Amino acid sequence: MWIYERKLQFPVKIKNPDPRYAKIIISQLGGPDGELGASTRYLNQRFSMPYRDVAGILTDVGTEELAHVEMIGTILHQLTRNMSAEDVSRAGLDAYFVDHTAGVYPQSAGGVPFDVKYVGVKGDVIADLNEDLAAEQKARVTYDNLLRLIDDRDVCEPLKFLRARELVHYQRFGDALRSAQDQMDAQNFYGWNPAFDKMHHVKKS
Amino acid sequence: MNEQKKLQRMIETYSFVIYETALYLDTHPRCHAALEYYAKYNARLREAVEKYESRFGPMTVFSGRNCEEWQWVKDPWPWEYNA
Repeated sequence: MWIYERKLQFPVKIKNPDPRYAKIIISQLGGPDGELGASTRYLNQRFSMPYRDVAGILTDVGTEELAHVEMIGTILHQLTRNMSAEDVSRAGLDAYFVDHTAGVYPQSAGGVPFDVKYVGVKGDVIADLNEDLAAEQKARVTYDNLLRLIDDRDVCEPLKFLRARELVHYQRFGDALRSAQDQMDAQNFYGWNPAFDKMHHVKKS
Repeated sequence: MNEQKKLQRMIETYSFVIYETALYLDTHPRCHAALEYYAKYNARLREAVEKYESRFGPMTVFSGRNCEEWQWVKDPWPWEYNA
């Protein structure tokens, strides 16, 4: 179960609203490598993860991703506050505005609504953890690309924090994969899936 | 039911009572009866969590105690059938 805490993981306070930036940052909310997909992916993978330490990483990283969803939503909200209809049109946010006004709707920078197809849950220890490693790298690249396009310290600082978290998560998933492999049959990691083939669950020594 | 399970069940019950009351208070913030009810069960919850954590391990990553080994990933997760 979860409890809401009245705080952000990293402060967001954007002096100058700029809907042009919101239009691209929105991809980290509902895009293919966004935070919503990340939290959904990890929190769902937990159930079939047979190793408690790895399930713990999935729980804790998945929970942190929920805090990142909130940070991105905060950035989008602050970038689009006090907009006039003219600001909306000038920023090219008119198509979004027609459907969502200044609401925060999960979609990609290209306007594709959030899709659960971005969430990989294979139910296989090695496949799922490799999915997670790739996902963290793809999210890191997205932050790198955003930082290339954005020239505002108030916006870049929280994005840099989020980029750094992708690297940390990548490292932790690397540790998780190593721990999982330590608990599997070193002779053949692919001969059985400990998330399904319970017979071979016990580590061979 | 062993002591750990009993405490777990109490924590689940008190937490639910508090959550249900919180939803009501969100739209009735001046209801004294609900505020008293909330305070009563919040005190019971704190006591039960304190008791549980001192004996059986952390309920959240923020509630760990000083110990030799990180207990968080050792205890069963709540979705395990035998938890």
